Order: sequence, then C-alpha cells, then structure tokens
Amino acid sequence: MKRLVTVIGLSALLGFAFAAEKVQITFWHAFGGGRTAFIQRAVEDFNYTHPGIEVKVEYKGSYRDTLNAAILAAKQGNAPHIVQIFEVGSQLAIDSGIFVPIQDFVPAGLEFQLDDYIKPVANYYRIGGKFNSIPWNSSNPILYYNKDIFKKAGLDPNNPPKTYNEVVQACEKIIASKAAPKCITWPLHSWFVEQWIAEQGALLANNENGRAARATDVYINSEAMKRIMKWWKGLYDKGYYAYTGKPEDWDGANQLFVSKQAAMEITSTSDVTFMQNASFENGFELGTGFLPTADGVERNGTVVGGASLWLTKGHPQKEQEAALTFLLWFTNTENMVRWHKGTGYFPVLNTSVKVLEWQHWFERNPAYRAAFDQLLQSKANRATQGALIGPFPEVRTIIENMIQEIFQGKDLAKALAEADAKADQALKRYNASVKK
Amino acid sequence: MDTHAAYKSRWLPWVLLLPSFVILLVFLYYPTIETFVLSLFQVAFLGLSKSFVGLENYKILFTDPDYRQIFKNTVVFAFFVVIFSMAVGLALSVLANQRVTGWRIYRLLLIWPYALSPAVAGVIFLFMFNPQSGIVNYLLEISLGVAPDWLTNPTLAMALLVFVAVWKNVGYNVVFYIAGLQNLPGEVLEAALIDGATPWQRFWRVTFPLLSPMTFFLLIINTIYAFFEAFPFVDLLTKGGPSNATNILIFNIYRDGFEYYKTGMAAAQSVILFIAVVFLTILQFRLGEGRVHYGG
Repeated sequence: MKRLVTVIGLSALLGFAFAAEKVQITFWHAFGGGRTAFIQRAVEDFNYTHPGIEVKVEYKGSYRDTLNAAILAAKQGNAPHIVQIFEVGSQLAIDSGIFVPIQDFVPAGLEFQLDDYIKPVANYYRIGGKFNSIPWNSSNPILYYNKDIFKKAGLDPNNPPKTYNEVVQACEKIIASKAAPKCITWPLHSWFVEQWIAEQGALLANNENGRAARATDVYINSEAMKRIMKWWKGLYDKGYYAYTGKPEDWDGANQLFVSKQAAMEITSTSDVTFMQNASFENGFELGTGFLPTADGVERNGTVVGGASLWLTKGHPQKEQEAALTFLLWFTNTENMVRWHKGTGYFPVLNTSVKVLEWQHWFERNPAYRAAFDQLLQSKANRATQGALIGPFPEVRTIIENMIQEIFQGKDLAKALAEADAKADQALKRYNASVKK
Repeated sequence: MDTHAAYKSRWLPWVLLLPSFVILLVFLYYPTIETFVLSLFQVAFLGLSKSFVGLENYKILFTDPDYRQIFKNTVVFAFFVVIFSMAVGLALSVLANQRVTGWRIYRLLLIWPYALSPAVAGVIFLFMFNPQSGIVNYLLEISLGVAPDWLTNPTLAMALLVFVAVWKNVGYNVVFYIAGLQNLPGEVLEAALIDGATPWQRFWRVTFPLLSPMTFFLLIINTIYAFFEAFPFVDLLTKGGPSNATNILIFNIYRDGFEYYKTGMAAAQSVILFIAVVFLTILQFRLGEGRVHYGG
C-alpha cells in the first residue's frame, strides 16, 4: 500500500514537472457558436504536435468585449499573448501601445509566410509598411439571392443585379409580381457604406484614408456618400428595402432572407457556409453575386473586413517565440484551407488558394466563387486599403444614426453635413486624447 | 439600562462590522469616488492614459445636442415607466387580491415576468415585434390590416421600450401591493362598507391612502429601476435607435465607456445620473413625508 502511494506520488510529481516545462500561451478570440469548437479543434491539433507548447484558447465575447478585456488585462500586467482584434480597431490597437508590431519578431526562416498573403489582405494589414498583426478572418460583403424568387418574378436567375439601378429594376419586378413581400435586405450597418465608398474609389478620411498620416478629417459629406444614400433612401421609401429596425442586426437580416421574406440580401462572405446550409434547409436555390455598385462609376473594389491576431507586449522571450510559432502555424496554408471551407472566410494565403484551386473547390462550390473573385478583382489603392480612424466604432454609430434620420425624412444635405461635423468632432477629441 | 451589554469589549462591534465596511469600501465607495475623479479627466483606452481636463466633459454634456436628446429620452422613459408600472401593478393587485377560483394561478402568472431574465425578455420581444416576421404584426395584419414598423418609428420604438420595461417590472409591484392589501386593517374597510361606500369610494378613500407607505416605497424602487435597469432592453431591442430616439443615459454610459473608450465622458454621465437619482429620492422623501400615512 505504502509503495503504491509512493509510486502515485512520484508519478504525479514527475507529471507536474513535465507539465511545468511547457510554455503556456493564452489566446483570446471573439468567435462564438460552431466556430469556438472549430478553433478549439485546431488548437488541440497544435498542442498535440508541439509538445513543448500548451496553447489555451478562450472565447471572450464580441470583438469589442475581447478588445476591452485585453486592454484591462494588459493594464493589470496580465495580458493574454494573442488577441483577435477587428479591423476597425487596428488604429486603436496601435495607439493603445500594448501590442508589438509582429513583423519585427517573425523568426528567421518563416518570413516567407508574410509574403504569401493575398494582395488585398496584405494591403489592409500592412500599416506603415509592415504587418502589425497576423491577418486571420477576412471577408467582404456580397449579394446573396434567392433563385426561385427570381424565376417567379421573371428575372434571369443566373444574372443578379450588379448596379444600384439594376437592383431597383429587379425590385420593381419582384414586388409587382408578388414573388416576395420585400425585395432586398442588409443590416443597417456602417460597414456596407464604407464598402460602397471604396467601390467608388473614394476615401473615408483625409491623409489618404489615414494611411499616410493620422487622419484628422472624416469624409461623410461626399459625392460618393450622396449616391449611396439617395439609392438606399429610394429603396426604403418604395418599401423594397427591409430591415428589422435595429441597427447592426446581422441575424435579423439573415432571418428575413432565409425565411423568403426578401429576395436578396447583402451580407458578409463569412456567411457563405451558413447560407448554403440554410437555403438547403428552407428549400430554395441560393445564388451569389458581386456587391452592387453605383451606376456610372467604375467598380474599384472592396475593403477587407474581419479581424487579425495581435501579439501583446511584455512577455518573456520564450513565450513570445512560442506564441509566434502558434500564430504562424494557426494561419498556415493547410489551416487557412480548413478555415475557409468551414466558414466562408477568405483563404488569405496565395498557397491556400492554389490548394483550393487544385482541388477544384471553387468549381464545385460556386457560391464561394463570387466572394473570392470580387476580392481578387479589387484594385489596390488607398480606397480599398480601408480607412484607419481611431474612433472608428463611434464614427460607425454616427453614420448609422444619419441613415436612420434620412429614412425619417431629414434633408439629405443637412443630415450629411451634420454627421460629418460630428465625426470630425469625435476624431478631434480622440486624437487629442492619444497625443498626451 | 446598559445598551452595550451584549458586547464585552468596546472594539468587538467594530471588528464585526469590519467585513461589511471592507466590502462597502472596495465595491461601493472606492468606485464612486473614482467615478467622480475620472469625470474630470480625458481618459483613453480604459485608463491606460489620462489627462486632467477639469469640467470639460460636463461642458460637452450640457452643450452637445445629442446629449441633450439623451437626457430628454431618459426623463420621458423614466416618467412613463414609473407611472405605468405602478398604476398597472396596483390595478392588477386589486384584481388578484379577490378570492376568485384559481386565484393562486393568477397571482403566479402575474409575478412570472419578474422572474424572467431581462436579456431573455428582450430577445423574446425582439422576435415578437419584428416588423416582417413577428407574431404581433402578423396578428395585427390579419385583424386590423396594419403592420407598424415598431423599431423604425421613434415614437413607437420608445413606446415599445416603455412597454417592455413596464411588463418586466409589474410583477414586482404586484408582489408588494398584494402584500400591502393583505395587511390592510379589515375593520376600516368593513366600517366603510357599513357606511354604504361604493367600491370606487372604498378604494380611493380607504384602500389607497392606507397603501401609501407601500406606494411611496415602490415609487423610489421603480424610479431606480427606470434609471438603472433598462440597459438590456435598449441594447437588445433598439441599440438606442432609430437615430438616438431611444438612447437613454444608462445605455449611453456603457456605449461611451466600453464601445467608444471615452471613459471620462462615461464617468461624467454616471455622476449626473447619480445626482439625478439622489435628488429625486430626496424630493420624494420631502414630498412624501406629509402625505404618507403609516397607520397606527
């Protein structure tokens, strides 16, 4: 008996000693539901194949919750090693000073991976000439449409509308033929407005979208914005556009489309997998197309949306290296292929795209094709690089409030001018607060 | 008589009080003081950097039209929530106080909403009032032929929020009012009955004045509820929209503090909310003193 106890005790001690040798890495992300499990499985694979490192992954709630939690933890000197931060938080993350610019720390022999990012993604996340974070989940808005409703309305189910006017024309037919109670939906979210501005080759902020130097002026009162709002307001007034009434209601918009209340939906490419499953369950044929753009303006391309992975400051050399090893593994060619297939988020590496092409993935899954072509056809310029604005979350609310005011009948020019002034004010206050 | 007889030594009571003091200090007094201090600073990134700006935050609060709109919304919301949840609560309690068949079930059903988590209630109402696919508009459409855009119209959105907040809190008022009604002295009501008072007179002349301590207590609790506890409804149903029409102080404090990283502004709004509620409570005590009848 005594011996048994000794043996157990010894082996427990030994086990403890081995466990203690492992480098512990924490990774916080903002993906709930099925994606939590998806990430968990990848992390388990990593831990299994990297015996010296133990990655602990935690779901921290929304993008905002995750960023808040990371800042607070850093303040207490207890920051997680890796944090997922949404794209519009990039400037904020740099200003917060709790992260290291990742490119400076990539170990020799692995830099090749940084050259492998597809151009639109590299353009967004290369800030001031280098990657401050590792691009991860990237998406764009595309048009999803219900082919059955299109057929019923006498529209060509293989030719979705490509411009604002074509959307209006399609809506006229859909509503007149009573093929669906509403024509089109998308969440009332500033993200779409940002995309439509980039599609017109216009900027959202001065100093080349805040890329050449810190932005000091937000361009809300612009020609590009006027075109978007006139079209949107027209759709709303005619009863073609539907939304739940709540801003940023992604689920509400999906529900309208999936339940066949609306013939079309504009939403993120990250929902391709969800949409395919939902259309199958609800018995309709799904089509996808490019994001419709303003008439008479050349299609310039979209901005990469989504999030990237940041490395926090102040960890021992060994932990920092382990965290980087994990990051580069987690976003390597094979894992990006898996991630794309499981979610619809873009395979952000050129090599992943090659693998998918070799597997004839896009031919077999045409819904994913539109999403990807749209991204690849985006021109690389300041507009599609996306704006860097410190108080971006607040600017988004200002834009969303403006849209609702326009719906309620506020004069377009006045609404734009007022929102512009508010956004400039918010930016001024933000810039003043980070300079100190 | 020696009132300290229970304690042998002088310091023992203080030692026994210590845990409560520590908790109050750490979780109440320190954050309160910190909030007052932060409201004088411009704070970036949840406190990673800050600079003293004096009363600048307050100046912005009182001059910015958006903030004025928020104050107005808060007053409107609180006023209607308090009035309706108390009036409806009282009316339902009087009905539920009758010994009709199945009274236990009625009471249980009335209290039920209070037991529901506000987040769950918010989501349920969001589904019910969805303009295109909600059950409410479906029923309105087939019965009256209308389908209002509940969350797109500023007045309807505010009305809906008030309704949800009232619905959620009525149960609480019912519990207290029923308790109050059960403890009314039966002989007074009996005397009124013998004197030939109508039910209406009996209620307003006897029952209502006798309930005044309960009403007074509920008035304060409901005011606090309306100011501090409506956050989940706003967050889940409207996010302050359409264009700030339902943005109330407690929601905006969260937004400024945790979404926009304007901790100083959020602190200044908390201070104003704090002062407003303290002021209202004092006012209610002052006004209530002469009118509340504590019996005996």
